Amino acid sequence: MKEYCMRSGLEMYNDLISSINSAVTNANASLISPGEEEVGDSSVLVNPESIFEVMSFLKPLYNGLQVISGVDYTEYIEVCYFLAHFDPENPKDVMIKTRLKDRQDPRLNSISSLYLAANWQERECYDMLGVSFNNHPDHRRILCPDDWEGFPLRRDYKVQEVYRGMKVNPENKMNRDDQLFEDNKQKGNEADLIAWALSKGL
Amino acid sequence: MQTWDMDLEELKEEETSLPGSKLKTELLTVNMGPQHPATHGVLRVEIKTDSEVVAQAIPHIGYLHRCMEKHCEAIDYRGILPFVDRLDYLASMSQELTYSMAVEKMLGTEVPRRATVIRMIISEMQRIASHLMAFGTYALDLGAFSPFLYAFDEREKILTLFEDISGARLLYNYFWIGGVWNDLTDKNVEYIKEFLDNFEPELVKYDRLVSQNRIFQERTMGVGTLSLADAHSFGATGPVLRGSGSAWDLRKVDPYLFYNEVEFDVPVGEGQRGSEIGDCYNRYYVRMLEMVESVKIIRQSLKLLEPGPTLGKVSKVIKIPKGETYTRTECPRGELGIHLVSHGEKTPYRLKVKSPCFTHTSILPHIAPGQMIADFVASIGSIDIVLGEVDR
Amino acid sequence: MRDERLTFFGYFRNIYTAVKSSLIGMWITFRYVWGKKPVTVEYPEVRDVLPDNTRSRLYNDALNCISCNLCAISCPVDCIYISSVPRPKDLEVPKCDDGTPKRQVLTQYVIDTALCCYCGLCTVVCPTECLTHTDDYEYSQYMVEDMKYDYLTDDLIAWRDRIVKT
Repeated sequence: MKEYCMRSGLEMYNDLISSINSAVTNANASLISPGEEEVGDSSVLVNPESIFEVMSFLKPLYNGLQVISGVDYTEYIEVCYFLAHFDPENPKDVMIKTRLKDRQDPRLNSISSLYLAANWQERECYDMLGVSFNNHPDHRRILCPDDWEGFPLRRDYKVQEVYRGMKVNPENKMNRDDQLFEDNKQKGNEADLIAWALSKGL
Repeated sequence: MQTWDMDLEELKEEETSLPGSKLKTELLTVNMGPQHPATHGVLRVEIKTDSEVVAQAIPHIGYLHRCMEKHCEAIDYRGILPFVDRLDYLASMSQELTYSMAVEKMLGTEVPRRATVIRMIISEMQRIASHLMAFGTYALDLGAFSPFLYAFDEREKILTLFEDISGARLLYNYFWIGGVWNDLTDKNVEYIKEFLDNFEPELVKYDRLVSQNRIFQERTMGVGTLSLADAHSFGATGPVLRGSGSAWDLRKVDPYLFYNEVEFDVPVGEGQRGSEIGDCYNRYYVRMLEMVESVKIIRQSLKLLEPGPTLGKVSKVIKIPKGETYTRTECPRGELGIHLVSHGEKTPYRLKVKSPCFTHTSILPHIAPGQMIADFVASIGSIDIVLGEVDR
Repeated sequence: MRDERLTFFGYFRNIYTAVKSSLIGMWITFRYVWGKKPVTVEYPEVRDVLPDNTRSRLYNDALNCISCNLCAISCPVDCIYISSVPRPKDLEVPKCDDGTPKRQVLTQYVIDTALCCYCGLCTVVCPTECLTHTDDYEYSQYMVEDMKYDYLTDDLIAWRDRIVKT
C-alpha cells in the first residue's frame, strides 16, 4: 500500500485510534489509508456526533487547528479537520474526518471554544457548503454577501439569476469559447468561407 | 472609564454612563472602510470606539472573493498555476512552490537537483522581496515616507531579475510541475551576487533609520500583544508565531527542498530592545532578521548549483491517481497549505487553500480592544495581510 | 515601554534618545540629496528596455498556423476562439515555414486580450511557434469589445514584418 503518511508512521496512527476509541465512547474511530492504486495521506474517520469530545481529548496532544476543509462527495459531505502540534521539538499533525449523510441540514458541534481558529474556519465551511455548527458564537456568512442564496461549493449548486435586482450573469459578459463572431457568420456557407480564407493565403 | 474589559452583552447595549452622574455616552461606530490607504487591500473593519479607544473591532472580508476554489475544479493541473499565483500576489513564487510540491508528491515525479536548487534560491529572493514590501508599507502606514521608497528601490532590482528569468514582474508562472521553466544563466548568478553585496549595507541602514528610531519604537512597542497560547490556539504561523516567542519554522522542523543542507538561524521574538514578546515591534523585527538569514541561505545555495536539467519527466496530460494530500510550505506570510483531493481525472476534485492571512485576520478582534485607532493601524500593518489570499 | 513610571531623569533621557535617533535618520536621508543617482525612469520620454522573453501582448502569425487547437485547449481562461474547416481534398496542401503541412483551413482566430492572463501556457505548446509574446504594452482601448483581436484581418497580418523574426 503506497503510503505518504503525514510525518507519522502507521503505528502511531493505530495508537492514536485505540486511545480515541477508549477515551470517547461513540467515536468509532477508524483509519482511512490509500488503497492499492491510490496515493496520498492517511486520516482518521470519526462519528459526527462525537466530534466535540474527540477534539477535547486531542487538545492536549495537538495545540493548534490549521484548517477545516469541506468536500462534497455526492452521497455525503465530508469535513476534514487538520490539527497540528506547533512545538519545534515534537512536531506532529493529523487529519480527522467526519461524514455527514444528511444533505438538507448537516449539523456539527462547534469547536470554537477549544480552538480559537475554528471561529472563522467554521464560518467559511458554512458559507461554502452549508454545514451548520451548533453553539457557534457568530454564525453568518464570511466570504459571500450575507443575503446570498445557496452554497457555492456543493456539486449541485446553480447560481441565482438575480441578486438584489441585478442580473448575476448577463449574456454580454459570458465567455463561451466556441463563439463564432459576427463577421464570420456573414461570410455565408462553408465554400465561401474556404474561398475567403484561401484568398488570404491561409 | 474602562469600556474595553466589559462583556460583549454590555457592549451591545450601546449606551454607557459615567458612574454617579447623569451624563450619557455612546459607542461610536466607525467604518475603516474597504477603500483605505492603510488596510493593505479591500478590508472593511467595523470599529466601535469610545472616544479614541477601540472597544470592539469586527472585520468584514469577501470584497476580493474570486471563487478560485470552485474555478479550479474545472481546469487542468497545469492551468491552475496562474490561479495559484494570484492568491498572494506579492509573493507568487512561494504559492507556486506549494502547489507544485503537492502535485509532484501525488504523482511521484522526481525533480532534478538543479531545479530544486534554483527553486530554493528564487524562493528566498521572493521572501526578501515580500519582506521589503511589508517593511516599506508598514513604515508608510506609520507616517514615514522615505523607507518606503528605499525598500522599493531594492525590490525593483529583484523584480528585474525575475523579469529576466520568467518574463513577468509580478505573476510569474515559473515553477512548473516537475521543475522550473527557464534556466538561470551565468549572468543571472552574477547579478544575484552583486545584489546581495549591495543589500547587506542597506539592511544596516534600515535598522538605523527605522528600527532604532524612538518614535517608531514608541508607536509599536507594547501594542497588539499576542500571547503564545493565543497564537497557538489561533493557528498562527510564520512571523506572527515567531514574534510571540516560538521557534517554529517549517524549513527547520520538516525540511523540504534542500533546507537541511544549508545553515541558518530562526529569528525569534525575545523582547529585543525593550519590547514585550508578541507585540508589533517583535513581529516587525523578526521579519527584518529573516532577511539577513535569507541572504545567508542564498549565498550557500549558489555554491550548490551544478549543471543539469531543469524540468523532470512529466506526461503531456497530467492525471493524478485517486487520493488526497495536504502539503504546506513556509511562505513569507505564514504557512500556506494546499489540500488536494483527486479522483483520477484531469482536473482536481477539490482544491482547498489554507491561507495564513485568513487565519491572521481573525486575530484582529482579539487584540483590538483597548487600543487607540492609531495603534490599531499599527497592528494591522504588523500582521502583514494581503487580501488576495484572505478572500481567494 | 508604555507602563514604566516616568522619572525626572527618564523624562530628559526620552528627549535625548528621541532627538538623537531622529537626527541619525535625517542624516541618512540627507545624504541622498547629493550622493545618489536618481533611479527614476522618466516615462514617456524614456522607455525601459524589456528583456527578450517578456510576456506581453500576444501575436499570432496566421499564415503559419496549422489550426491544431492546442493553444485554445491549454488556455486556463478560454480566451482564444479558433474555428477551422478541413481543407478540400482536391486542393494542394501548403506548408508552413518549418515544413509542417497545413491540413486545415483556418477561418477564425480571435484572442480576447482583455481576458488573457499573460501566463504563457499557449505559446509553450504551439508546435510551429506562430503564437508568440511580443513586448508591446501600450494598447489600451476605449471600449472593452475593441480588445478582441482578430488575427486574420489585414492590418494585423501587416504587423508580421515588425514582429516575426525568421
